[in-house]
Amino acid sequence: MAIAQEKRVGVGMDFYEVCGLRRSIRWFDTSKPVERDKIQRILEVVRVATTCPGNLQPWKAVVVEQAKIPKEKRDRLLYADNMQGAHVQAPVWIYWFGDIECARPEIFQARVGALIKAGALPTAYGWSEATMANMVRGDEPAEGLPGVHELLHDMPQETSGQVAYAETVGAAAVGCLAAVNERLGTCLHMVATPSKAQIVSEQLGAPATWIPVWVQLVGYPAEDREGGGQRPKLPFEDIYFEGNAATVFERDPRVVAELEEAGLLRAPAPTPGRFEELKGLAQRFGYPI
Amino acid sequence: MDTELQQHATVRHWISTVDEMFHLSDDEWSERLGVLRDFCATTTTDPDRMIADSRANRDAKNEYMRRLKSFARERYPAPRAAHDAENVVRSFFIHNGARVFVRPYE
Repeated sequence: MAIAQEKRVGVGMDFYEVCGLRRSIRWFDTSKPVERDKIQRILEVVRVATTCPGNLQPWKAVVVEQAKIPKEKRDRLLYADNMQGAHVQAPVWIYWFGDIECARPEIFQARVGALIKAGALPTAYGWSEATMANMVRGDEPAEGLPGVHELLHDMPQETSGQVAYAETVGAAAVGCLAAVNERLGTCLHMVATPSKAQIVSEQLGAPATWIPVWVQLVGYPAEDREGGGQRPKLPFEDIYFEGNAATVFERDPRVVAELEEAGLLRAPAPTPGRFEELKGLAQRFGYPI
Repeated sequence: MDTELQQHATVRHWISTVDEMFHLSDDEWSERLGVLRDFCATTTTDPDRMIADSRANRDAKNEYMRRLKSFARERYPAPRAAHDAENVVRSFFIHNGARVFVRPYE
């Protein structure tokens, strides 16, 4: 059925429920491969939904299905992540990299130029390709435009790297929501112990300008989708303020109730039966408790 | 339960931290303590000493793990049973802060 005729694709879920269920799943059903179209949908969501300054889009991803790679490659990639259990189990590994070359001033200029032509950055606010070129040269923009000239002019490679890394973290976060939306389990791991990061780049043939950011583990969960409950989160009042950093943003209990109903705010961890579940999982897969 | 083994602080700590989460039965503990007791006998050391050695010295820890593998293979001919016996001792190490490798049964 053409997508135009069917608004809902596949198994998409309600947004609040996706966000409420987003948690690090660490036990995967090793017998069940992930369908390729689900992997593609995750990548497609990240591509269009992730925001980034100047629309830089510095992220790159290498998808690895561990059942399809040579054992030696699999073992090397796992060794780089210290053979962590979740990584051993997950059928799909999405390695997210930040491409330094995509966070250079000339790229910023090109991407912003495309946004201007797309009507996304309005000339009414002062945007034009000429003003963008001036900012890259270091000219201070007029009021109404961001002061990015200080960042872009003579931008060191190191700064490009920091930007590429930070923005790719955002992409991986969107990737996690996209995986939950596919009713898959997912979590983010360090790509490697830092001293072993080069192993991953070599095994995946990543160019030297690609900085490893996260590996997103994906698979059908072997544990309950609640993963034992919503993880401890800092109190709302400790992190949100209004007007200034001293005035707490007042939390409306009515909104809280709506979000509990919508599936965003869920039972906290550990939920009843969680440790029995963990014991069963450990026994099933042969891990100690 | 093995009262002699429980005279060791590391064993008491192990039981306490495991049961904080998993509340194992007396039978389960008897079995686990039996494995630990037998392993300690083969290494001619006691649990507290084994943990102290392992936390102080990576080579000593690796040696205990090598001996654990041999012990499990000899004492438990069925591969899965051997793996599970190793996991009992690994659990003891983990809960006492001695880093050990864990792998699934494959």
